Amino acid sequence: MTTTTVAARRAGWAFVAPALTLMVLILLLPIAGAALLSFTDYSLGGSAPAWVGLENYEKILTQSRYRAMLEATLTYVLTVTPLSIGLGLGAALLIHSLRWGGAFYKTVFFLPAMATLMAMSIVWSFALHPTLGVVNATLGSFCGTGWLHQWGWFDAACRNGFPLWLGDRSYAIWTVCFVGVWQGFGFNMVLYLAGLTSVPRELYNAAEMDGARTAWDRFRLVTWPMLGPTTVFVVTITLIRSFQVFDIVEGFYEQGAGPSRSAYVILFAMYEKGIRENLIGIGAAIAMIFLACVVITSLVQQRILEKKAHYA
Amino acid sequence: MKRFLAAAVMLAAGLSVDARAQDKTVVEFAYTYSYLFDVTFQRILPKFHAAHPDIEIRMRAAYKDYEDGTNTILREAVSGNLPDVSVQGLNRQAILVEKGIARSLEPFIAKEPDFARDGYHKAMLDLGTSGGAVYGLPFAVSLPVGYYNMDLMAKVGITAPAQLPKTWDEVVGLCGKLQAAGIKTPMFWTWNITGNWFLQALMWTQGEPLMKNGKFNLASDAGLTALETMKKLFRGCAMPNYSLADAQKSYSAGQIAMYFTSTSELGAVERSKGNWTLVTHEFPGLEASGPKGLPAGGNAAMLVTASKDPKKVAAAWTWLKYITSGEGAADVARTTGYMPPNKAANELILADFYKQNPNKETAVRQLPLLREWQPYPGANGLAVTQVIYDGIETIVTGRANDMPALRAELQDEVSALLAK
Repeated sequence: MTTTTVAARRAGWAFVAPALTLMVLILLLPIAGAALLSFTDYSLGGSAPAWVGLENYEKILTQSRYRAMLEATLTYVLTVTPLSIGLGLGAALLIHSLRWGGAFYKTVFFLPAMATLMAMSIVWSFALHPTLGVVNATLGSFCGTGWLHQWGWFDAACRNGFPLWLGDRSYAIWTVCFVGVWQGFGFNMVLYLAGLTSVPRELYNAAEMDGARTAWDRFRLVTWPMLGPTTVFVVTITLIRSFQVFDIVEGFYEQGAGPSRSAYVILFAMYEKGIRENLIGIGAAIAMIFLACVVITSLVQQRILEKKAHYA
Repeated sequence: MKRFLAAAVMLAAGLSVDARAQDKTVVEFAYTYSYLFDVTFQRILPKFHAAHPDIEIRMRAAYKDYEDGTNTILREAVSGNLPDVSVQGLNRQAILVEKGIARSLEPFIAKEPDFARDGYHKAMLDLGTSGGAVYGLPFAVSLPVGYYNMDLMAKVGITAPAQLPKTWDEVVGLCGKLQAAGIKTPMFWTWNITGNWFLQALMWTQGEPLMKNGKFNLASDAGLTALETMKKLFRGCAMPNYSLADAQKSYSAGQIAMYFTSTSELGAVERSKGNWTLVTHEFPGLEASGPKGLPAGGNAAMLVTASKDPKKVAAAWTWLKYITSGEGAADVARTTGYMPPNKAANELILADFYKQNPNKETAVRQLPLLREWQPYPGANGLAVTQVIYDGIETIVTGRANDMPALRAELQDEVSALLAK
């Protein structure tokens, strides 16, 4: 080994050292700390922490309240991710095809994404108030419209009152999902719009010459493949953001997490255990599971989608 | 430049002279629920500073709720920046005593020649007493009361407070009549105040504590009666699963006829209610004679200073005493729905005030019933509260119908958490 390569190597390490130190200090060390804590029963109010091994993880996998947590988290992720991507793409395609007025729709759809979700969930809980909220008041004003009463659900609601969107366990998680989609799809729309502008016009002309006559053919053969890299990014980001949902549940519910814990999403569980109830050990275990979920999704994403994505 | 320096030096000198002239003892203070108590302290502070010009009270950011207060203090104890006086939830004092953060108030009380110890209700002092020593003096105290919309009650022939229900059975009966009169939500019962306060209310109503000799006492007959009473109320009144905020909005808007909650909400309801007549009345019981006891809600001031400076500690005690007795305590009643914890303040300073505000007097009439809001000992105390909350919620949502089974389930789960 010559001296120059050694020096070059040293220089290389010197250059990455600041970034490396920071990463270890503010990322890896805290994660290692949380991982250690997750094997203890440490609590702020309790006695000295004791090593409990895998007990915290065992609890998460066996107790019913954590089954509710996994159920709510998966329901939310699996509903919100496809819907907000689909709606985002649809809105982007529609806006892209407009000759004028695009900026207006862009702003309108993007507004929810710019607002703070915590504040928005408070506004929504006003709107969804069972008797005074604008949602049920609007629905109620259609009572008496003949043809709508053929819809059984509506007819029953007119007689017995419209649902408690947040207080009824058959609606709660879906209401949370709805607000999640409402808030998230504008962001995906902007990403897709950016992706659409980079699709070259000539490809459409060439496809048309080759016999792609319908709009669906053009979408299937040109637009969708060309949006591949954008889709990889959008799917990853949306999945991770869905796992991260917290503020809607915290804003909607003063205590608990929806009727019968039906909206007990993972980050809320972590907050409830670790911060509210002071049970740092189990909170750290939930944090570790959350981390694992996020890391696994992004790795799988990269593997599967990068292979298929077509980088022009 | 020279001139600027000279000015700066003079200014600095002036400031330091000024500081020496005032030389105040600073007491750091934190309290809970700023939206309720900001107005109270805005009234107390000028009076206190006028009476004690040598003490400066420095307010810290208020805690969001009692749980946040406990957590904040525990964290501050670890990081070494405790305030000097802190207002904590009545049922959250024990943990601060256990951890050695709160200081015993006995030495200070002993030095007070005219400390009106009998001015405090015994049950209130008991809440802050541990091992025979007083650690916290109650600051603002609440009790559950009944709120009635008299405009709606008139539809079923109730026009005077004396006709209002005395038992839960009467409440259920009235619910049926109110529904027949077209009122969809005749009653709301705030079971969801921390999830366990109203359960303790139904236990104390029968003269039974929820925690007996360190054990969870739901397995008793009284426990079953409490759960069955809830079921009867929720089913008989078709009570929806409203959040506290939603229920308060509906009640203020005049959609709910009978509303059972803490007297502390009175201020907020009076400010936001529509154009209808509000009357508060005694909390119903199981028998016509009313409840045998009711749990106190509210908070207490604790001395948590880590300072060794006797002057500072004395100043902290002066402030603590001021807000919990006499004129300082009377301001609690004037600005909120809470009651001052002190007989003297209630009976002497506020006699006229209650005549003018009869709705605020209901809770004062119930004071002889005041019992302890019991804490759940150990690190899992907050988790126990959540288990009870979840359990009662299953009655509200209609998922639980078999009360003996629910009782057994809750007893097991809570006992398991307490054992640790």
